[in-house]
Amino acid sequence: MSQLSRLVRIARTDFSYFFRTKWLMAVLISLSLSDMLVVGLVYTRLIPASNAIGSSYFQFLVPGIVVVGLFSAATDTGRRIWLALREGVVQYYLTLPIRTRGLVGAYIISGGLGGIVYSGALLIIAYLSFMLFGAPIPVQGVLYALTLIPFLFVLSTGIAGLAAFFASVSRRGEIYWVYAQALQVSMVTVSTVFYPAQTIAQYLPAPVATIAEYNPLSLAAGVLRNSAFGGNALETGALANLLATSLPLAVIGALAYWIILRTIRLKGKP
Amino acid sequence: MFAVETLSLSKRYGKTDALRGLNFTVNEGEIMVILGPNGSGKTTLLMILCTILKPTSGTAKVVGIDVVEDGTKVREVMGIAFQEARGFWRHKPSSILRFHASMFDIDPAKRQDLIERTMKDLELWESRDKMFMHLSGGQAKRLETAKVLIQKPKLAIFDEPTSQVDLRGKRKIWDKIRELRDQGSTIIVATNEVREAEYLADRVTILHQGQRVVCDTIPKLKDAIAGGDIVEVDFEDPVSEKLVGSLNGLGGDVSLSPEGNQLRAKVSKAEDWVPKMTSASYVAGAKIASIRITEPSLDDVFLHFTGKALADQP
Repeated sequence: MSQLSRLVRIARTDFSYFFRTKWLMAVLISLSLSDMLVVGLVYTRLIPASNAIGSSYFQFLVPGIVVVGLFSAATDTGRRIWLALREGVVQYYLTLPIRTRGLVGAYIISGGLGGIVYSGALLIIAYLSFMLFGAPIPVQGVLYALTLIPFLFVLSTGIAGLAAFFASVSRRGEIYWVYAQALQVSMVTVSTVFYPAQTIAQYLPAPVATIAEYNPLSLAAGVLRNSAFGGNALETGALANLLATSLPLAVIGALAYWIILRTIRLKGKP
Repeated sequence: MFAVETLSLSKRYGKTDALRGLNFTVNEGEIMVILGPNGSGKTTLLMILCTILKPTSGTAKVVGIDVVEDGTKVREVMGIAFQEARGFWRHKPSSILRFHASMFDIDPAKRQDLIERTMKDLELWESRDKMFMHLSGGQAKRLETAKVLIQKPKLAIFDEPTSQVDLRGKRKIWDKIRELRDQGSTIIVATNEVREAEYLADRVTILHQGQRVVCDTIPKLKDAIAGGDIVEVDFEDPVSEKLVGSLNGLGGDVSLSPEGNQLRAKVSKAEDWVPKMTSASYVAGAKIASIRITEPSLDDVFLHFTGKALADQP
């Protein structure tokens, strides 16, 4: 068996772990659905249509919820790495005939897959709810959504990478939880997932608005709104920005995970 | 070529030396038992051999492959059953074994049969629908052993394979380990359980404070102890110092329990010593309740070579 097929097997096993935690799936799905169908619909009545948000807040918010779903699923990689370290699964992996970089790759890929599969499911639900509530979905939008998958996968690996980094520096489970929450606040709150860039620029200092604009979650939400739901052609610049902001995160994560494995080899523990 | 060879192998954790210049070899096709108390360096040695740990200095080779320079190749020929069972908490035992088998290229056509047979052999079949996190300690240990059995590696390592396992289960695991040796694998078993070592070992290495104290077959290790027979005598009442003095005069090494009514003597020939002891006891008026004559155990061997009892070690 080649190194690649071993990598795929490990990635698949770790990926399946995400879906085996049924209570976590239930919580995530109910949060996403309530954001989409309750918050989205209620706020649509409160917030009038405008140039910044488009024809309705529902149409503005739902693509953002898809991105938040991707974020939550990818962040779960950190929880799985933290558990794998403490339960000794990582030490078991280290006895398998796969190179260290293969193990690192497997974890990053499984993180990416978790995010893409979960957000893919949310995207389908989003399309269905658009149809249900009379919002138009251009046919080419679905094709653009399919084209976006590799870019969203890289974004998901980047977030999984950040989560891996926090898992590596967390001695206790609750510490990882704190880091994960801090990550969520900084990445989701300071983004254009829930509110448009113009509104942020109006009320918050310019550096915060700039960070929000170049936040990879904002970029992903923007591309989804514009192309997957809006039917406009994919913009090369936006895709390049998305890649440029996601890849460094994936590299940080890969490096963090590689350092964990190296530390185990030297000290016998993470 | 040795199946395992280490030269001046050392491992240091901070200020603690877990292994100190260890020279150690295992022949192909034998069961080598590493006997030592907790903290003697057994697990550290095994972790280096299976490439989880990097040595601080020295070299270690598995079937001629350096564990540091070519770890991936070492892992292709080696399997380990950990002291603490390691598994995916939310997977069932058969799924864990299927994953393991796939990582070691076990023929997919034979995989399912092999897994089912091994699980039945190790009495895990009844637990096939439980998730790993719901297995008992003994079941998880047996699953750990099952991984190595289905893999049939060139070098199989078992770290305390029967801790937390009941007596019946122990015997099953020991038999399967011997069967694996008979099928051509070289086996290393680390244990601090004397009975396990006696049952399994072709040779025993005694490890103490990170160093090899001695390595040989069990009969030769026992022969190396001065005396050779152990006589344990229970008296109905505590015996006098005078009797102990006269028994010491008969030859051998005699020690009395703190209660004063149990005597343990290491003697050259029990058949010569026991009649003399009984007549001396009769003369002293000490009534004998029972006499047991045994060979020295590996506990005695450990005590002889290290000056410390195996059970009393930290």
